[in-house]
Amino acid sequence: MTMATRLAEAPVQASALQSGLLWRIWTSRVDYLYVMPAIVVMLIVIAYPIYYTVELSFFNTPPSLQLRDKIFVGLDNYTLILSSEVFWQVTLNTFIWTIASTGLAYVLGLGCALALHRDFVGRAVLRAILIIPWVISAVAASYIWKWIYHSNFGVIGAVLVELGFASRPPNFIDNVNTVLPSLIVVNVWREFPFAMIMLAAGLQTVPDQLLRAARVDGASAWQRFWHVTFPHIRGVSIATILLLAVANFNSFIVPWIMTGGGPANASHIWITHIYELAFGRQRWGVAAAYSVLLFLILMALGYFYVRGLSGNEKERG
Amino acid sequence: MSSLNFGRLVRRGVSLAAITASFMCSPASAQAPVDLSKWSPEYVRAIAGTKDFDTAADCGKVTPLAHKGRVTFWYQGVFEGDPDLLRQYYRDFFATFRKTYPNIQLEEQALTYNDLLDKFRTALLGNAGPMVVRLQILGGVEFASKGYIQELKPEDVGYSTQDFWPGAMKSNMWKGKTYGIPTNNETMALIWNADIFKRAGLDPEKAPATWDDVVRYSKQINEKVGVSGYGLVARKNAGNTPYRFLPQLWGYGGGVFDEASPSPNYSQIQLNSAASKRALQASYDMYVRDKSVPVSALTNQQADNQPLFLAGQLGMMISHPSDYDVMLDLKKRVTGSDVQKAQNVIDNMRYGLIPTGPDGKRAVVFGGSNMHILKPEYVDGGKVDQPAAKAITCFWTSPEWSLKMAYAGSNPGNLNGFKTKWMKERLENIRFLDVTTSMLPYGIPFPTIPETPEIMNIVVPDMLQNALTGTMTVDQAAEDAAKKVKSIMSGGKL
Repeated sequence: MTMATRLAEAPVQASALQSGLLWRIWTSRVDYLYVMPAIVVMLIVIAYPIYYTVELSFFNTPPSLQLRDKIFVGLDNYTLILSSEVFWQVTLNTFIWTIASTGLAYVLGLGCALALHRDFVGRAVLRAILIIPWVISAVAASYIWKWIYHSNFGVIGAVLVELGFASRPPNFIDNVNTVLPSLIVVNVWREFPFAMIMLAAGLQTVPDQLLRAARVDGASAWQRFWHVTFPHIRGVSIATILLLAVANFNSFIVPWIMTGGGPANASHIWITHIYELAFGRQRWGVAAAYSVLLFLILMALGYFYVRGLSGNEKERG
Repeated sequence: MSSLNFGRLVRRGVSLAAITASFMCSPASAQAPVDLSKWSPEYVRAIAGTKDFDTAADCGKVTPLAHKGRVTFWYQGVFEGDPDLLRQYYRDFFATFRKTYPNIQLEEQALTYNDLLDKFRTALLGNAGPMVVRLQILGGVEFASKGYIQELKPEDVGYSTQDFWPGAMKSNMWKGKTYGIPTNNETMALIWNADIFKRAGLDPEKAPATWDDVVRYSKQINEKVGVSGYGLVARKNAGNTPYRFLPQLWGYGGGVFDEASPSPNYSQIQLNSAASKRALQASYDMYVRDKSVPVSALTNQQADNQPLFLAGQLGMMISHPSDYDVMLDLKKRVTGSDVQKAQNVIDNMRYGLIPTGPDGKRAVVFGGSNMHILKPEYVDGGKVDQPAAKAITCFWTSPEWSLKMAYAGSNPGNLNGFKTKWMKERLENIRFLDVTTSMLPYGIPFPTIPETPEIMNIVVPDMLQNALTGTMTVDQAAEDAAKKVKSIMSGGKL
């Protein structure tokens, strides 16, 4: 390249820079300075742990060695997880747990939100009562439900036996077939108020004149809900479902306190299994690999969540 | 036979093998402050109150009482299943230590049995451990093997190795070196409700002699009285499970390895042996075939069995001598007509030796806790105040405090504790203490390998749960567990 050419290209490059990303960053440098402390903190508390978890997932950490003496095993931990029978059982449990908890909490929340959207005496009191499961400590709720379900002296069992509906208390959480549904009931009980609040807020945006017009046109209650109400709360529904799904994937307290993942792994979900592998068995490497997989799934959910929110904004725009 | 007439029983029943197994680490048991070969309830009574000890003076020789410093200390403290009496002794201990060493800033933190290992491991990953830790007996070797804790032997805090049970000292050994000092040693006993036995047509004053009898008694109680016969515990990640299943496993002649043999080397996995499968079959028979144990056994800890027992809903269980005091504490919370019912259960409490296997083998987990001092690089702040760390270690492992801190539920780690006046007082105040001290010679320590916590807290309960839920047959569950242990031992895979 000749000197003349270089000189001729220089203003072009400068102009590209001025209109490009770097130039925009440079012109907004003071703004970046303001958010820099937050970015540094985020890098320390989020980015580094993510990096370390990914790194750790390539190492074996036997119980007789310190973590610093970990042994590089490449992708062995991922192979080990994917070839483990327990992993597939736990994965199935996780999907059942997440889909059922999210779906039921949403449906129940929507039902309550619709009911509370009508004007009636005592509505405020009822709303306050329905929020209680959500505000109560998850740990306390888990212990209370453990007592309610207890296979020997549980409240439900005692009532059923007393009323003559059963000869002995039903076995809720000590049975591999009933334990997961029983825990899902507890989880739905805890989460539906959240869905109810979100959807109740969404219902405020449904124009009343549209509902009145539909009624005048002879639309049934279902038709009014499906063609008028629901399209208006579709955005908030997507956000609610995604938030519930992320929370349920990560839901640790209820299954851990009530059953510890048992019996026979029947109520283990990913997060409880990861905890057991890491802290109970010191399989830090395997637990890290598990976490990476869970992270990728949650990131995908997060992507859809953000997309859902962006879609809403565009619709409103 | 009276339930308390254990002296005769012990003299007749203690096998030489059991004693050898427990005492095998003692190179000079004759030099021990107590004669372990004479161990019996009568002997324990005879030596109680025969010697005085001055803890402050003894520990002052190790760490001057004027020492100025700081020590951080984590310990497995009292939990919901412990009696109030023990809580008071814990408060007294820390108050006395602060009074004796007014210039040592003590920062103690109590954790429950099931939480301590998790928290301690996590803290060590961040070099944020305490200077001193009192860990459950199965934990020390794991941390010694990883190089987290310092070498520490009784002589370092003014005592002699012979002052402690050989089996307990063994739990602190890793590759021929000692890494801790026992604070207490516990062996459990079989507790039963004489009234339930009577109503079931059983001799109310006689404990089941064998584990096969336990299965039979449990079924008979359930059929005749309509309550659970035996307090099976099979929760995962809970110390209660191996403490109750291992005596059964060993009684039948099985084991995880060869830990019940006089010279174990932990090289041969025995969880899938015929004897181990018979032990598992006994649990299966009670839970699945006879349905004679609490259905909630899979999520139960011993703390869940205690209210069942007090409510007269449970015939037998394995537990500590402290359970008598626990029942008295629980009774205080009972109201109305239930008070009399609870009192009736307490009046009918009986303690007996843990049953034997079909070949007469009696065994119990040699439990307890040990004190360890960490290496500075793993401690929060990077420093260990050695004199202060030794002071708290000396204090807790002293004849006085190792006895008082084990007053209701255990036995003093320091054998001199048996000679103190508090032991004499304890023998008068704590009912059924004779039974659990009689079980000490039958105590078998958990395997002293780093993998033990994982095997005992995860693999063994998993095996039980797989069999009891019908997820696997007894054979399959035992084979699966043996495979897991083999895998763990061969490189730490899943």
